[in-house]
Amino acid sequence: MYNRVLYVPKNPPDIDEHEVLRYLGYGKNRPDSTTEQLIKRCTEKLRAEISPRCVYAAFKIKHSGRLALEGCSLILEGQDIADHLINCQIAVLMAVTLSEQADRLIRHATAKNLTKGIVMDACASAAVESVCNQTESMIRSKFSGSFFTERFSPGYGDLPIELQKDFLAVLDAQRTIGLCATQSSILTPRKSVTAVIGVGNMSAAPSKTGCNNCRLRENCSFFKRGEFCGFSKPS
Amino acid sequence: MDFQSLLNKPFVLLDGSMGIMLQKQGLPLGALPELLNITQPGRITNIHRLYIESGADIIYANTLGANRFKLATSGHTVEEVVSSGISAAKLAAKDTDCLVALDIGPIGQMLQPTGNMSFEEAVEIFGEQVRAGVRAGADVIVLETFSDLGEMRAAVLAAKENSTLPIMCTMTFDKNHRTFTGCSVASMALTLEGLGVDAIGFNCSLGPDDFIPLVEELSSWTKLPIIAKPNAGLPDPASGEFNFSDDRFARCMRELAGVGIKFAGGCCGTTPSTISTVRAALNDVRPIRRNCGKLTAVCSATKAVTIDRVRIIGERINPTGKAKFKQALLRQDIDYILAQAIEQIEAGADILDVNVGMPGIDEKDLMIKCVNAIQGVVDAPLQLDSSDVEVLEAGLRHYHGKAIVNSVNGDLESLQTVLPLVKKYGAAVIGLTLDKNGIPPTALQRFAIAQRILEHAQSLGIARENVFIDCLTLTASAEQEAARETLNAVRMVKEKLGLKTVLGVSNISFGLPNRELINQTFLTLALAHGLDLPIINPNAAGMTGAVRAFHVLYNYDKSATDFIDTYSVSQVENKVDKPEQGIDLQTESLSGAIEKGFKNDTARLTTKLLKSLSPMDVINAHIIPALDRVGEAFDKGQLFLPQLIGAASAAQSAFEVIKVRLSSENAGTVSKGKIVLATVKGDIHDIGKNIVKVLLENYGYTVIDLGRDVDCQAVVDAARWHGADIVGLSALMTTTLKSMEDTIALLHKNNVPAKVMVGGAVLTPEFAKKIGADYYAADARQSIDIAREVIG
Repeated sequence: MYNRVLYVPKNPPDIDEHEVLRYLGYGKNRPDSTTEQLIKRCTEKLRAEISPRCVYAAFKIKHSGRLALEGCSLILEGQDIADHLINCQIAVLMAVTLSEQADRLIRHATAKNLTKGIVMDACASAAVESVCNQTESMIRSKFSGSFFTERFSPGYGDLPIELQKDFLAVLDAQRTIGLCATQSSILTPRKSVTAVIGVGNMSAAPSKTGCNNCRLRENCSFFKRGEFCGFSKPS
Repeated sequence: MDFQSLLNKPFVLLDGSMGIMLQKQGLPLGALPELLNITQPGRITNIHRLYIESGADIIYANTLGANRFKLATSGHTVEEVVSSGISAAKLAAKDTDCLVALDIGPIGQMLQPTGNMSFEEAVEIFGEQVRAGVRAGADVIVLETFSDLGEMRAAVLAAKENSTLPIMCTMTFDKNHRTFTGCSVASMALTLEGLGVDAIGFNCSLGPDDFIPLVEELSSWTKLPIIAKPNAGLPDPASGEFNFSDDRFARCMRELAGVGIKFAGGCCGTTPSTISTVRAALNDVRPIRRNCGKLTAVCSATKAVTIDRVRIIGERINPTGKAKFKQALLRQDIDYILAQAIEQIEAGADILDVNVGMPGIDEKDLMIKCVNAIQGVVDAPLQLDSSDVEVLEAGLRHYHGKAIVNSVNGDLESLQTVLPLVKKYGAAVIGLTLDKNGIPPTALQRFAIAQRILEHAQSLGIARENVFIDCLTLTASAEQEAARETLNAVRMVKEKLGLKTVLGVSNISFGLPNRELINQTFLTLALAHGLDLPIINPNAAGMTGAVRAFHVLYNYDKSATDFIDTYSVSQVENKVDKPEQGIDLQTESLSGAIEKGFKNDTARLTTKLLKSLSPMDVINAHIIPALDRVGEAFDKGQLFLPQLIGAASAAQSAFEVIKVRLSSENAGTVSKGKIVLATVKGDIHDIGKNIVKVLLENYGYTVIDLGRDVDCQAVVDAARWHGADIVGLSALMTTTLKSMEDTIALLHKNNVPAKVMVGGAVLTPEFAKKIGADYYAADARQSIDIAREVIG
């Protein structure tokens, strides 16, 4: 407990074409052959050049008053994260990044041709999602016999996005995986994710999931199109 | 004891981890360990004492993260935390020979372009730490755990500009011999040695066993003493304990001594007992004599180019004689310059010359922007080219590698202004064999100037391998006898001075027909006379081809591998410029080509149509209807974003053709109106804004793209300067909506008449209205409707 664990996936992330198409606004439609080829090329390039890294640390939750974690300076503020972690004893803080190389590839592609830049960006978004899933299953495998919440990130609901800097400090993320936040709390390198996963040791009620419980719903471009972001299963 | 005398010892012992000692004592994760300097200085002093007792010659004060950014909400100033940290260490070192280092780590934010911290901001943040450390009496400055060579450079410059203390630099590398940001070992060595630091090496991330190949590689690139401060192996995921025992760690440190380290210490997971074990283990080891050859190399942060064969310098980033390039500079269209950079690299350039000088622009500002943008995208080292010393310095300061300065000449004033910059920033320099009397006619006279330049450079401490000589190409049609003199001068400089030679080749053929033949022949002759660095247009296949052939014939390209790779039949077939998808130019319509997103075909068909139609007719009858059809299909969900952008990019190539036609006829512009676009201060998302830009341009609007993270005032200034009809602002974060509001308020306060349209994922029409925007664009397509409504 309380140790930072570095996780470097052995294989490059799988990039799901359906996910890429979803980010590009295709919904369930098939792309034309030019776009399909472009997605393939961008996927190969990303897989060959990025070196994704993850770091996480698990903390006992102190449920008295504000949501504090044992041995950790971070306070998880807001009702939504408290609701999310209800019945959980442990909170796992995780951070994932595709590395600066992804930013560089997107800049390079954009400078050559904007279409390629957009497709590269979408492929990288799908890749970071895939690395998050890999990391999450790795974390799950460390806590057998438990239930797990969905990932919950700073900026979701009323968990302030301004926590990013302190969140990263807990994981010493600049040193461990090369991840920082700007003063506006934008993660850099850009294709990165921070999230909290709750771990409980009994079959307690799962946390609220689905678009109807999502605070991002009003501004969600997926939701506006009648689609789903892929993060938490629709209830 | 001072730093220099310390270097007389066989090995210099550094301390181990401060962090692990504090964590063992219960410091929570995420807390700032530096605050203990103020709250519990005794604890810090005690840990330092333990390291001194274990034999450390230098201890690192507990000041790693004591910068303005990390301390922002701590309630303490940098001065307080640094001075108390140094004091705590000095107290422990009192009455010993141990030196106290001001320890400085990364700021915690990334530099532009991945982050939004500017280089000068970083220099200022580090400068504050350095000044505090010097005042508190630090003996040496340690810059450690850096992964971005750019940020490391900012720290070194801050240290140099605010102190005279010795500087030790270590960066954090991975097993693939790269840092997180892609910095290579060679780039680190070339750049930091150039800046004049006192020792370089590695810390953190890996165990001492993995340091061995890293140190071996570093040793071949630098003459500086080498530092190794590895972790105690890797942490066990369950217990957090590092897996190297002190004995095993010390055995590896002995091996590291065998490959050339001078400084030995420990990072994460190492303790006072680790250090005393290392001390004992190194007791009977003799340091090796390192044998570092003199390499001539330049580098970006990610790639070193050794000049051990002919290297092509691409000349295309230069406005001279290029109307389109000049227009791009006037619009500050950095994307255009980036595209030129990428094109040259793909054609075979090893190094890129960057010249952005022309009347009517702020050359210094543009040089900084271009250097930042280019190094954020391509790996090739840069050659900074300007006749203005201030511009050269600005470029050198912002370039995160070892650049080539183009140029100095034999005139005393030039030598006295340019060479000190070359020395300060650790660059290489091109010496032109001319002086205030002009270009001397004979090879012998040019050789004499080359000699003078070399002597002057060496007197300032610039190594001879960093001086390249340009013997100057004159135009053969005007001075036919001069070509041989140039070639002879190249040979003399190469053979007698042993310097690398540079030559701008294309000048030779001005005024002659079949210029390419003359250029290629002259290039080949020059190569045979000893030319190392031809400055050419790499897009001219004959020129890069001549260099490739030379490499085969002079036995550099072993087994002709590169040559065969480039010119084998299948490779050539792949590169032929075929019509996209093989469309038939006779029957295909322009609008069809645009709708399919075929750039080249669109350009060809536009040229064809312009023979019978006026530019405005081509735009209104062909281009706009095509874009409208694509837009409608996009709205209906029949076409998708990549196709929308593909069509827009194709239409752009039609506009390029039309613009060239109009400017050749002096027929004015097709611009319907001006739109200033920006992603607001603090926000670094720009894909959405870029999409809007391309669409607007293709409906005939002139777009001035200010980029991202744009100051409120810069938006106001640009809107006024250009007389914008619309200002478009983008923000993607709840945290940056405030900047959008501030920008609009400032526009209103300054009575800027432009209408304001806003967009971005977190915006709503209601919020847009609330912050005073005139229009809310839900997506890129809506921005067209808004522009049509406002401008027409």
